[in-house]
Amino acid sequence: MTDLDFRHDVDHPVPGPPNTNLADILERVLDKGIVIAGDIKIDLLDIELLTIRLRLFVASVDTAKKAGIDWWETDPALSSRAARSALQEENRELRTRLEALESGPRDMASADR
Amino acid sequence: MTERSPKASDTTALYVYAVCRTEGSPALDGVSGVARDAPLRTLPLGSLTAIVQTVRAAEFTDEAWQERLTDEPELERYARAHHEVVSAVAAQAPTVPLPLATLYNAEDRAEVVLGNESARFHAALERIAHHAEWGVKVYATGSPGDVGGGAAQRPRTPSTPSIPSTPGDRERPAPGAGRAYLERKRNLQARREQQREESLRVAETVDTRVCRIAKASRRLRPHGPGAAGDHRVQVLNATYLVAEHRSAELELLVKDLRGSTGAGIELSGPWVPYSFVGEV
Repeated sequence: MTDLDFRHDVDHPVPGPPNTNLADILERVLDKGIVIAGDIKIDLLDIELLTIRLRLFVASVDTAKKAGIDWWETDPALSSRAARSALQEENRELRTRLEALESGPRDMASADR
Repeated sequence: MTERSPKASDTTALYVYAVCRTEGSPALDGVSGVARDAPLRTLPLGSLTAIVQTVRAAEFTDEAWQERLTDEPELERYARAHHEVVSAVAAQAPTVPLPLATLYNAEDRAEVVLGNESARFHAALERIAHHAEWGVKVYATGSPGDVGGGAAQRPRTPSTPSIPSTPGDRERPAPGAGRAYLERKRNLQARREQQREESLRVAETVDTRVCRIAKASRRLRPHGPGAAGDHRVQVLNATYLVAEHRSAELELLVKDLRGSTGAGIELSGPWVPYSFVGEV
């Protein structure tokens, strides 16, 4: 069989998609393959740290659904708890402003600064 | 290769990219791999063939990798180089990709270790024969920045110019203004909650429908905002092993799901089935 024959053998999976982002490649080449003992090995813990550092991966949908944890929690658009505390913050501010208003226009003006 | 050189810098190691089933030698011209010193070559393993490259051991020590893992551009270079070799081989023969950085101190070591794994390689080749991997990502409808739109802006209540300087009832905000404001905030929050629930529901629907035409599936961790250079919220990052003759069906299904759910759905593939060669 010549090299040319090989190239035109369409029976086999084709190469990866052309526009692949790094995250897509990393999650495939780093920790999803067949586990074969090598003489030199990357520590899996390092990979975990790496992925955290690169902010490529966050809590799985399952985990997020169960607990609503991780970045969902700090994003008011996504977390009820974060939004609730944002709401409390707004409420507190509102009360302060109302107090300032009720105590008179001059005080109000200074409270607005 | 097996002899130990007195100079550490001369010591070599063998980098293994993939194991394939081929009768000839895959054409790998123009693919350089992770190192420049030596070309890619094959290492016969009985009925299987490993795609390997001789590299300088000093550049591939545990310490060197740890350094590399924290250097994003370097890591990207290596990951893409590895991926390129795997893809090139897989285009020509049934292939089991090995993880990034599978290295042996010597060629005979690689022969022994990989030779002992031939049953697993054959099983993996059997499993992925005539199948390809496809990634499906679902993004929440309404990005965090979008949700609530202008209502999310902190209201300046009441703004200074709108307050008359003359004393009187008018200078106070209408009764219940604070309550109305809080009400608006609550509605906004409820809407966000609804959108989140809805997005997760869409994710489940997409996964269920795609699973029906897939042989196997895996959930990957959704990428955080910014990973793909945008700020959309990923609610599903899954990957599927799909028979080659069903790839058109998959593309149609995704198109259909985009229409019926209104969600952002990305399909990537076909990939060499990296995610399905291991024993799950």
